[in-house]
Amino acid sequence: MVMSTRALTIIVFAAVVAGLFLLEFLARRPGSRIPTLGQWLGYLMRPRIGRVLILLGWWWLGWHYFAR
Amino acid sequence: MATEDFPGDRERPRPARASFWPGHGTNRVRTAVIGLILVGYAWAAGGAAPFSATALICVLIPGVVLAGLASWRPPDRIPPPDKLDITGMSYWAICVAALFEWEAAAYRDNSLPWHPSLTDLVNPLIGPHIMKSAAILIWILAGWALVRR
Repeated sequence: MVMSTRALTIIVFAAVVAGLFLLEFLARRPGSRIPTLGQWLGYLMRPRIGRVLILLGWWWLGWHYFAR
Repeated sequence: MATEDFPGDRERPRPARASFWPGHGTNRVRTAVIGLILVGYAWAAGGAAPFSATALICVLIPGVVLAGLASWRPPDRIPPPDKLDITGMSYWAICVAALFEWEAAAYRDNSLPWHPSLTDLVNPLIGPHIMKSAAILIWILAGWALVRR
């Protein structure tokens, strides 16, 4: 059986997204050295420019998926 | 990625404010009312036709409201960590870079059927009204969570 390129693309996307969820799960274990998504986003949002850029990215996602 | 401290807002003493976050000493009735309003808004926004002025306004309103709250009435913020473990952070960086790279590859290939972009894969999933409304609700809640960071 030959896997189609489309299927391979979807599998890679799914694997990466699963990896993100796995990291969040691992980060929430006691004593983990991996920061949670909220922690590293919060860290990036400490300077005002980081805060503005992250919030702009959030808004762009909404515009991209829900207004287009 | 730098791991040293930023002399940011966190160190600055903040005036006491009422928390907007559910279950943090606020009125649960008010929280429930806000929740119902958000669900109703997401349901209404989910019915807007793509590429319409209504859809654009439905996306603009949460952005303006959250930007206004963040600027003029910021909620109690969750303190970020002083430092990030560089090894732990590198795992995130690898995953996020892989996601962007795969998406960029699809974009470069004009998102053809044999290498669809994430957008082309997600759009059919949020096609049904209820799925789109749920996604909008999650998006708004994610925005609120970001404002609290």
